[in-house]
Amino acid sequence: MSTSTSSNSESLREPAPAPVPETRFSAQAHAELDEIAGHYPERKAACLPALWIAQREYGGSLTSAAIQETANALGLSYAEVEGVATFYTMYNTVPRGRHHLEVCTCLSCAVNGAYDIVHKLEHELGIGIGETTPDGEFTLSEAECLDFCGAATIMQVGDKYFGNLTTENIMGLIDELRASESYTPAKLADSIVKILQPGSSITGGGSYTPESLELPAGPML
Amino acid sequence: MAILNLLFATRNVPGIENIDVAEAHGIYKGVRKAVTMERQAVIDEIKASGLRGRGGAGFPTWIKWNGLPKNYTAPHYVICNADEGEPGTYKDRELMLKQAHTLVEGMIIAGYATYSKVGYIYIRGEYVEPAWQVRKAIDQAYKAGYLGKNILGVDGFDFDLHIHMGAGSYECGEESALMSSLMGERGNPRLKFPHAPLPTVEGVWKSPTLINNVETYCAAGWIIANGSENYAKLGTERSKGTKIISVSGHIRRPANYEVEMGTPLLDLITEAGGVIGGGLKAVVPGGSSVQIVPADRLGPINLDYESCGANGTLLGSGGFMVFNDRTDIVLLMKRTSEFYAHESCGKCTPCREGTRWLFKILDRITSGGGRDGDIELLLNVCSNIDGRSYCGLGDAAAWPIVGAIKAFRPEFEYWIKYKKSPVGASALPPSPEVVNPLLLQAAAAHG
Repeated sequence: MSTSTSSNSESLREPAPAPVPETRFSAQAHAELDEIAGHYPERKAACLPALWIAQREYGGSLTSAAIQETANALGLSYAEVEGVATFYTMYNTVPRGRHHLEVCTCLSCAVNGAYDIVHKLEHELGIGIGETTPDGEFTLSEAECLDFCGAATIMQVGDKYFGNLTTENIMGLIDELRASESYTPAKLADSIVKILQPGSSITGGGSYTPESLELPAGPML
Repeated sequence: MAILNLLFATRNVPGIENIDVAEAHGIYKGVRKAVTMERQAVIDEIKASGLRGRGGAGFPTWIKWNGLPKNYTAPHYVICNADEGEPGTYKDRELMLKQAHTLVEGMIIAGYATYSKVGYIYIRGEYVEPAWQVRKAIDQAYKAGYLGKNILGVDGFDFDLHIHMGAGSYECGEESALMSSLMGERGNPRLKFPHAPLPTVEGVWKSPTLINNVETYCAAGWIIANGSENYAKLGTERSKGTKIISVSGHIRRPANYEVEMGTPLLDLITEAGGVIGGGLKAVVPGGSSVQIVPADRLGPINLDYESCGANGTLLGSGGFMVFNDRTDIVLLMKRTSEFYAHESCGKCTPCREGTRWLFKILDRITSGGGRDGDIELLLNVCSNIDGRSYCGLGDAAAWPIVGAIKAFRPEFEYWIKYKKSPVGASALPPSPEVVNPLLLQAAAAHG
């Protein structure tokens, strides 16, 4: 399974030493967690939202200290929270680059040239699947079906899907991303935390503003 | 060709994401009507429509709605499964992006009919853009009085709707795994009926729970607003109404097409502009979990539950993938098995081990290491997965391989005998600049 996005091999890493306690949850983060936890009959159910908050507060990846702080905030054990964090592919238990390029290579994308795009990126960026460029700018992953198959090939970067990619237009997008601050792993986590909060469509979050929620006119897949 | 935009009626209306425009186009008419009806009458209306679950299994919707206790004495939950993950399917994405108010309306009606006070929309973590539209729709619906306390002035009808975002797991689209995930756990499936109570009796937090797909709730709203008779007159005897089919692959105009149930499959290919890059080789009509159908057997298939079932495949979630004659079916199955091996949650041994073995064997064959007896070995592994795991993921990993061997056995034999692709130029490319070791092997095999 060396081609998988998130990979079981990553989660089979060496056992981490006991985390040095950190407290990076801001007062606002605790308030957000308390509000979201109120949506459920028990606090444990807020584990997924809490990990999204942690991923944002810790700059885009979940260190062992992040998992410990999440466990403390929820009143759960470290093992329980780590078990959840390592199950889901979007929680980064290893650090990612400033842009996490997740190219969908599942069926419809695969037959529409997704592997050519992966190979182009590997060649141009000089990294393999699962690796990060030395400058920390890009991490390249293969994603399982992102379910936007009509616009194959698809790539997710942060909280955005880019569609209809080809080997011709992919490097132009990469240049745009280099100049952009909008699609980082922390911004993705911030968007998701905001989506979980009632009323946030008025205030925005992540790389979203209320204006960006206006849909473009005309057909859109 | 019967393109019928019921749920998609307003998908290209500018500003439809705003509640005033949505109301002007008749969305929320269903809620206003539902609250004037007896709760049982709402369920009877869904029953009369013949609506079946649109997530893939096609279970009659009204049976679920009718299964919850008919009182407010204990909490009930209404859950929308928006964890769309089936390869080839993107209908829920478009419904949430453009018809989020339709979804919210359907869930409010379900909350009313099932005496539920809380609803959750479980959206896959990757779907940030659709989820923002749902957030916006919910916020506006609260402001307009469709959500909250004493909705539309009906004393005691309270309903709160929350969004729960997943974090990347195909398995969580399975309803019992989704419930685990909603309760803050790993997305492992749970023991199911008849070994455990149905979710409508004991679901999340051991409370009665209703789970339906996005498209199902949208259809329920339409049915209440427009009358069950107008829905039931569409489609076939046992598949009523419309189905949204997500068309992708080697096709000129990939998009979501809402068709009347019973539409001939080949008509949809014509409607979508026909096959590109070569002649038609095969179609997967219902997402990667269903059996692939070769072109010469597509003629009699109509897009409804009975016809697909009678022809050795399934309508599934409507993930309709078209492949041209340059597609290597064995490589396609290798990629399919890789998907299931990656997504197996690891709870049940036959699926956890079997999906990996399927991938390893297919990877070996497509790397030029195929051996005599590999086809039988694949079938043997498949038969040891099928029906032997808690949830359907294992079955879904086995069916497409069995189907592909049945339909395209000579291609498997060719790979094993000649160590190369029978179609030469492959659509799943080994590229000249391969870095990935797995693909390097495949490229070497192509010689």
